[in-house]
Amino acid sequence: MKTVYLRRIIILFIVLIIAFLGARELWEIRHFKQSIVASEDLTKRVMLSDYFEGIKGTWVDTPVYIFDSGKAGGSMLWLGGTHPYEPGSMVTAYVAAENIKISKGKIFLIPVANRSAWTMGDYGMGYPKYFTLKGSWGAKKFKIGARNSNQLDQWPDPFTYIHYPSRQKLAPQDIRNLNRTYPGRPDGTLTERLAYAITELVRKENIDLFVDMHEASLMYPVVSTYVAHQNAEDITMMAAMMLSAEQFPMKSEVSPKNLRGLSHREVGDFTDALVVLMETAEPFIDRVAGKMTEELMVEGKDEFLQRAAEKGLLYCDPEYDIEFGRPMWYRVGRHLSATMELIKQMGSFYPDKEIEVDFPLFKDLEKNGIMHYLHNPETADPNRLFYQ
Amino acid sequence: MICLQEIIHQVYFIICGLFALLLLRNLFKRKTRNNLVYDIIYAYTFIPFLLRALHIK
Repeated sequence: MKTVYLRRIIILFIVLIIAFLGARELWEIRHFKQSIVASEDLTKRVMLSDYFEGIKGTWVDTPVYIFDSGKAGGSMLWLGGTHPYEPGSMVTAYVAAENIKISKGKIFLIPVANRSAWTMGDYGMGYPKYFTLKGSWGAKKFKIGARNSNQLDQWPDPFTYIHYPSRQKLAPQDIRNLNRTYPGRPDGTLTERLAYAITELVRKENIDLFVDMHEASLMYPVVSTYVAHQNAEDITMMAAMMLSAEQFPMKSEVSPKNLRGLSHREVGDFTDALVVLMETAEPFIDRVAGKMTEELMVEGKDEFLQRAAEKGLLYCDPEYDIEFGRPMWYRVGRHLSATMELIKQMGSFYPDKEIEVDFPLFKDLEKNGIMHYLHNPETADPNRLFYQ
Repeated sequence: MICLQEIIHQVYFIICGLFALLLLRNLFKRKTRNNLVYDIIYAYTFIPFLLRALHIK
């Protein structure tokens, strides 16, 4: 009997060591901090809870970087990390945060819109935890998050998620999906309160242009596309035409009225902002892609996607070619130029909403890469260095 | 509503803790299936409940 007990104690001890090692890794992922060396034009950094107290002290409260020229003009809210497993959107926001030069109007930048979803990853899908970009001053590590809010922060999911206020029935897990919970509600679930806080920011700051950055699978028809609320249809169509003529192919569509909870539908309906969502091609999300590696995230080269392209199964434009793949610089460059084109078109359609701003664009990233525009936190001015 | 959600949320953590304790008890005090394989299974399945109860995973 004593031998059996001893055996069980030894097994439990081994299991506790395994649990400890796993727990330590999970704890590090949840508490990982990303450095941002903000541009000299940063006016102030506030928390999203300044716009809605209901998320204060929670894992969804997230920094908002404000670049105010002090000169009257338009205002833009720019979101990265609505779905943190689409890191191109967050890297775009980091590049913008470190390089914005603004001379007219105001920009509100949220690099990680759903911070709770950023505190975990999609490890069940075999995703790596981080990816690294290398530059002249060294390497920088970026975390790959998850799609939905962390279950540690919001649980359980219902059998059916009923969207507020439309009462449309959606998939259970979408109750933790920021881009299914707009416009949000002040007494709702944590993710609904996050959506409400973002909507409140739009209302309180009289935001003119709301840009929500995403990445999509190559087999998803909406890839390489603007999706706009009908109020923003004109500027989006023009921006897509200009981009397609001058830089890279870009599609445009109008937000369907019966698909609820998305930023381009609800924020457009419940505020005065022109709302646009943008998708670039992220080979990681496709279920046909091969091994999920850092290289795939950074370079986007996959033989199975090449095969799918040859069979005509992909929707990305230009056509997928494994020689080029879909590198991170390309995806980030697209988001930067696509946002700039929206700003330009808004200024030309509505001169009172003009924003004069400068940040790196597609051609710059093509020439110099991403890391050229991200600064070394070790040598940065401590007043401009933030960890989030 | 937020308060009610928080109570339900915390109850789930408590349930996870109770399951972890149940598994731990059954690892040492059970009358059937006493061989090594079941020892490993009881100990191994203890991990997710423990980590959830500790707000780690």
